[in-house]
Amino acid sequence: MFVLVLAGLGGAILIISLAYGFGTFKRPGPGLYPFFIGLSISIFSIVLLISELRSPMSPPLFGPGGIKTFLSMTVTFCLWIMVMPLLGYVIVTLLVTYAFCKIMKLEGWWKPLALSAGTALFIYLLFDIWLYIDLPKGILG
Amino acid sequence: MEGLNLLINGFMNSLTLVNLVACFIGALIGTIVGVLPGLGPTATMALMLPFTMKYGPATGLIMMTGVWYGAMYGGSTTSILVNIPGEAASVVTCLDGYQMCKKGRAGAALALVAIGSFVAGTLGIMGLQFFAPLLGNAALSFGPSEYLAFMILAFVLLSNLSGDAPLKGALMIAFGLFISSVGINPMDSYPRFTFGWDELMMGIEFLPIAMGFFGISEILNIALAKYVVPEVRKIRLRDLYPNKEEGKRSIYPAIRGSILGFFVGLLPGPCTVISTFASYSLEKRASKHPEEFGQGAVEGVVAPEAANNSAVMGSMIPLLTLGIPFAAPSAVMLAGLRMHNVEPGPMLFSTNPEIFWTFIAAMYIGNLMLLVLNLPLVGLFGRIAVIRPQILMPVISLICLVGIYSVRNSIFDIWVMIAAGVVGYFLRKWKYPIAPLIIGVVLGPTTENSVRQTLMLFKGDIFLIFARPVAVALLAVAVAFIAYKLVAPLLGRKIKLKVEEDDTL
Repeated sequence: MFVLVLAGLGGAILIISLAYGFGTFKRPGPGLYPFFIGLSISIFSIVLLISELRSPMSPPLFGPGGIKTFLSMTVTFCLWIMVMPLLGYVIVTLLVTYAFCKIMKLEGWWKPLALSAGTALFIYLLFDIWLYIDLPKGILG
Repeated sequence: MEGLNLLINGFMNSLTLVNLVACFIGALIGTIVGVLPGLGPTATMALMLPFTMKYGPATGLIMMTGVWYGAMYGGSTTSILVNIPGEAASVVTCLDGYQMCKKGRAGAALALVAIGSFVAGTLGIMGLQFFAPLLGNAALSFGPSEYLAFMILAFVLLSNLSGDAPLKGALMIAFGLFISSVGINPMDSYPRFTFGWDELMMGIEFLPIAMGFFGISEILNIALAKYVVPEVRKIRLRDLYPNKEEGKRSIYPAIRGSILGFFVGLLPGPCTVISTFASYSLEKRASKHPEEFGQGAVEGVVAPEAANNSAVMGSMIPLLTLGIPFAAPSAVMLAGLRMHNVEPGPMLFSTNPEIFWTFIAAMYIGNLMLLVLNLPLVGLFGRIAVIRPQILMPVISLICLVGIYSVRNSIFDIWVMIAAGVVGYFLRKWKYPIAPLIIGVVLGPTTENSVRQTLMLFKGDIFLIFARPVAVALLAVAVAFIAYKLVAPLLGRKIKLKVEEDDTL
């Protein structure tokens, strides 16, 4: 399936790069280099697509319960990005580490809590105290 | 004589507290990363790039090489003790290393590996010290057409040596080149593939791409994998002494592995992994007792581990002399040096010789540090190997998130990293090699410059390249390699070089 996406991407690059202007070999336009990239992606992906049609089906992407873990992890990453500027990195780090521990099935509540608190403290000491990097402190700032 | 003076200066520069601490931290973290299955040296090096920004380029280079180097040392520990390779370059070590462990010779195997790696590292650094300036001088005569030809050759070899499907490798290189073409083109200030997004005008940063494809995708992979608690055998310090026969049998394999590894390191692709397979097979052929291989032959442990250490040094040569990384960790190093406004390549030896010589001197020191670090702490590293991913991965995830944000205070970079991580997860599952993609991203701007400069130099007549003998020779090797790969199966001599996909590629 991914090879189909790449074939489509190759075709799109070809069309867009021609719109940027191919120029000539003597005076290359901004589209000349991406044109050849698009051409390479298209050719490679079509050949690969043909060879994959003959090969057996690939194994499933997720095991039992895998898709739930995958989505939970991805959504938690996204939540960190969206909430961090509002609440500040220390609080969000604490909450998100706890969430990751639970998603990855770290049992009990005190182990995940201790790990989250330790991680938030470690990140604060590393970035704020040692590296002097000014990160959003949110409601703590 | 000049080289000796420069080396002495390099030692004086590297013996500063900051550089020694950087070397130690790099080596220690590298060893831990090598011990832990999962997160590999490339992801760790990318993760450490923001921290190196606080210090100079030489310090950054020392720290990152320490990680790569340390990972090669550490990788063998779990191979021998638990039969689980810490990273792909230690897969071969499991074959005889674990058998030695079962016979009660784990301590001896670990000690011989550490000493063999030290010898290999030292020989590798000597090779780098000798060959790099020579090749750097030769590369000064390279024009854009030679660079272009060299890059085409590198791409051909890279797509063939990474993973088991050359087409997938080639596709990933092209995909990486495309990613690097996003943004304003510096040659004519024309915005490409930005679709009106301001964030894309300056292009997609290398660091979030590298951390996403190597770090986040690996975290997702580990989070979804089933964890089996490994059993680690305890090692006492007195167990570390190899007997006389084991010591004697290790000398030549260590030297052979070092030399072979160094030259394999010059090849594009997963050089450290290939060097271990090549070295193991060489030792088996050279041995008077090939039947012992797989049953705990000390040669089968020492030689591959020596080879992967000197391969790291060999792979520094194309990076430092031509500015072209042949492996994913050296691509991260190139990005790191660029962040410090240092452009590796033939001019490095005339414009920034102190960086090169400080780096060489620090590597000698780092190599010694690793030997001292690894032998007494082997028991501790064995215990680290059994830390559960449920504890490690949440911490690493958060360091990735905060680390990438801290570089440019850019939320967009974090989105890029997560998107790259998700795509990277699927690429791993579909067995697309990630290293060629990363090398494509980092080499994209140089490739485009070479293409344009070559076309303009030849006034559009591409056939003028035939008047450049070096470029023709390089292209001929590329064409011959493709022809060989196409024809060999038809002749019934199918080349099978299957390398486990991992981030050391």
